[in-house]
Amino acid sequence: MKHLRGILVLCLCLLSSLCAVRTPATAAEPARGETIIVDILSGRDANAGNFNLWVPGAAAPSKGIQQFMVRPLWMTEYAKGEVLNVLAKDPPIYNADFTQMTVNLRDGIFWSDGVEFTADDVAYTVETLMKNKGMFFNTELNLYVDKVAKPSRYQVVFHLKTPNSRFHSFFLDRWGAIRFMPKHVFEKVPDLMTFPNYPPVSLGAYVLADYDPQGFWFRWTRRDDWQRTVVGKLYGMPQPKMVTFYFYGPPEKKVIAQSQHELDMTDLTPEALRAVLDKNSASRGYRKQYPWFVNVDPAITGIQLNTDKPPFNLKDVRWALVLATDIVDFAMTGFDGMATMGAMLLPPTPAYTKWYYQPMLTWLENFTLDVDGKPFKPFDRSAPIRLAQRAKERGYTVPTSEAQIREIWGVGWWKYAPDVAAKLLERNKFKKGGDGKWLLPDGTPWKFTIITIPNAAHPQNRNAFAMSQQWKKFGIDVNVETLDQYATLTQRGMFDASTQWPAREPWGAHPDMFRTFDHWNSAYYKPIGEMAIAPQGAASRWRDPRMDKVVESLKATPWGNTERIIQLGIEGLKITVEEMPGLPTVAYPGIVGWDETYWTNYPGAENVYAQPYHHWPNFEFMLPFLKSTGKK
Amino acid sequence: MTFLRRYLLPRLFQYVVVIFVGTTIVFISTRLTPADPVQQTIQRITAQGGYMDPAAVEEFARTLRELYGLEGSVLQQYAALWKRLLTGNFGRSYTYFPTPVIQLIRTSLPWTLGLLSLSSIVAWLAGTLLGGLAGYASQERWAKWLESVVMIIRPIPYYIVALLTLILFAYFLPIFPISGAFRMGIRATITWDFLMSIARHAFLPAASLVVGGMGVWFIQMKSLASTVIAEDYVTFGRAGGLPKGKLVFQYTIRNAMLPQITGLALALGQLLSGALVVEYVFSYPGLGMLLYQAITQGDYNLTMGITMLSIMVIATGVLIIDLMYPLFDPRVRYR
Repeated sequence: MKHLRGILVLCLCLLSSLCAVRTPATAAEPARGETIIVDILSGRDANAGNFNLWVPGAAAPSKGIQQFMVRPLWMTEYAKGEVLNVLAKDPPIYNADFTQMTVNLRDGIFWSDGVEFTADDVAYTVETLMKNKGMFFNTELNLYVDKVAKPSRYQVVFHLKTPNSRFHSFFLDRWGAIRFMPKHVFEKVPDLMTFPNYPPVSLGAYVLADYDPQGFWFRWTRRDDWQRTVVGKLYGMPQPKMVTFYFYGPPEKKVIAQSQHELDMTDLTPEALRAVLDKNSASRGYRKQYPWFVNVDPAITGIQLNTDKPPFNLKDVRWALVLATDIVDFAMTGFDGMATMGAMLLPPTPAYTKWYYQPMLTWLENFTLDVDGKPFKPFDRSAPIRLAQRAKERGYTVPTSEAQIREIWGVGWWKYAPDVAAKLLERNKFKKGGDGKWLLPDGTPWKFTIITIPNAAHPQNRNAFAMSQQWKKFGIDVNVETLDQYATLTQRGMFDASTQWPAREPWGAHPDMFRTFDHWNSAYYKPIGEMAIAPQGAASRWRDPRMDKVVESLKATPWGNTERIIQLGIEGLKITVEEMPGLPTVAYPGIVGWDETYWTNYPGAENVYAQPYHHWPNFEFMLPFLKSTGKK
Repeated sequence: MTFLRRYLLPRLFQYVVVIFVGTTIVFISTRLTPADPVQQTIQRITAQGGYMDPAAVEEFARTLRELYGLEGSVLQQYAALWKRLLTGNFGRSYTYFPTPVIQLIRTSLPWTLGLLSLSSIVAWLAGTLLGGLAGYASQERWAKWLESVVMIIRPIPYYIVALLTLILFAYFLPIFPISGAFRMGIRATITWDFLMSIARHAFLPAASLVVGGMGVWFIQMKSLASTVIAEDYVTFGRAGGLPKGKLVFQYTIRNAMLPQITGLALALGQLLSGALVVEYVFSYPGLGMLLYQAITQGDYNLTMGITMLSIMVIATGVLIIDLMYPLFDPRVRYR
């Protein structure tokens, strides 16, 4: 018993000493109030010591690499619908037949080790990527680039093998692009494929200070010469002395971390956001009040249908599924109203609303479907108003002005018209069985599966379950399967319906729809069993000669001719509305939690001066505008 | 000589067969999953928003297939795998290409080994000791009380135990950190500060594993000890007036321990697969998440590397225990 007591005392001593271990920060470390701590979107990086961004298993970019270490020529600012000139001084300049692209670079931009960024770095990067098989963009650059010329220290001219009016796309950063290698470092490395690029030199205003070899955190410190960076020149000094990227774990851990004021900016699930707002009075969402979500994310979510597989090859069936969906009920079930409805295969962000949804409003309202020889107008302008009303009934305070409601929830969606949906099916020989369930034309029960991501918090998963409820209510035997490999299955065409985005994400910052439409180009069509070029959009296997023509016309239209680009974009979108190759539901509803204990003036809905995410390459451009609360 | 022929050689043969069959099964199962490592890489790039020219996708896929060594038939790939493995080379990870698999394993392995071996041994020791005592003194009030507590905790899913531990001691009573293996900013060197930081970060995950794991050992041992105390030699020992300590530890616990030792060896062998839930809940580094990621990303080489290591350690553990049985139980030598 004496021994037992001794052991107990020893254990207690050890435990209390463990609890007491709180080593103070070292002298070199800035105070908490001078540091901003943000989440790592991609989670723990098991290969933490790798900062080489140009190889197939590239370093996780959102740990500070794409925010600070590298900078592109241009960047999409989708919150404002602008393309930013970053390392390039102005937009790309093409010759008449698109076989040459000239880029004028900013002068006075320096790498963190004091070497100036020049045309040498651009040319070296492109030539190195072309030489090294397997490196990012190796295939594309070899496909298009004949040679790179450097007429001056700050000018690069790309001579192309074939005309390409969108060649600059490879350098336009939208969570990925060709970013530049520091020539003076990389040219001394014998094997670039295995080079970890540590310690990395930065082109941004922060340089790597320290990282966790286990991949949970990465700390970047502000450069003393931040004036010699793009952000310094354009917007002034980034406010935090240090930026820490920290992965705390699943959403519940992020809630705890933010409640303890140890995580300033993070992505969350709607449930986690509610929890953190409840626990931490200093936390806020993108909007200060319900519905909190980010409505500028340039991705449309929904259901992708396999149009090579009966009965989804029938336009009537696809439209029947649309009309069998009560979007208000769907949005409340799946997202608790925290999402903007998008009637077209285009995200209803403010920029796209201005470029497309508003100009197409009259056309959408007058668009008709032929139902038993009578025209039926399916567009429903009132859907967002009804959604606001439903949210109010659920106890939320919602805006009262129609303009505000539409800004949050969209311009409209499609009518809930199960009777019309039934007629569309019946004219294709579908029947209702005695149990009220739909039968296929051959008399067998209509059953199908929606495949989706296992993560229950992801909008794709929410789309799957909310939509299956809608269609079950309509009398279709719909099942949902969650699979880790759902993206590959979608790409191979081994699916009926999938929650992979029904359309390729557009640029967000420019009205050009080439990026989206080209994925439906029949030249890239792959039959079921073969890999489609991408799991989004193209995997639906839908193609239409009219869309091919739009794609060709866009190719021939200069990037700067936005008037013509919008005209062609409208033309293409009209085809997608008529054909409805996939079902658009809501724009990607980003949910962010921001703690205002140490920092304020985040780019929320009331002050959209920049995109709102800490994991986008643009994050650095937000930092000069943050304001310290003065709390140490 | 008889021992060698009848006992050692069959076990060594069995050991080699287990490794061969295990490796082959893992190889086949990775190839059966629909996850294609090449497409996973391309998806990762495009899902992140990077612009990949549709005209270049197929060529890029071909290049990756070549770099990943996925050209040729499955049989050729299988032959190449053994050629590599026999030279101690697990190949390169596809997800983190071209980082060698062994480098990734080396980074995560010490954390898995440290946390899981320590907590498994503590849970085993506590469960075995308390179970043995409770089995010997099963009619005592404390033994009944202890059994009730264990019976309440044991069926609770480990995830709940872990989450409760975390919320209690990292949120309501914020005395332990909520994630990571050591404090941010600290240098990974052998210093008191660093070691204490490791211990502090490992405490909650380890405690949850001990609480969640000792119940099984306790119940198993209690039931074994209850059987052993009914044996004649214990009755004679007690009638002969042997001291209680000797009766408990040498007559009861020692004789009931054999299945527990086998269990421990197997449990320690399985450590190499990592503990996904503990790593997930406590954001603790280790092989579990790495393996999960490797499977979902179709990273054949990384999956093979971790599972191969696990198979080898389990097989070796079983072999060692098999060879050590005669030391624990003299009867084995005469079979």
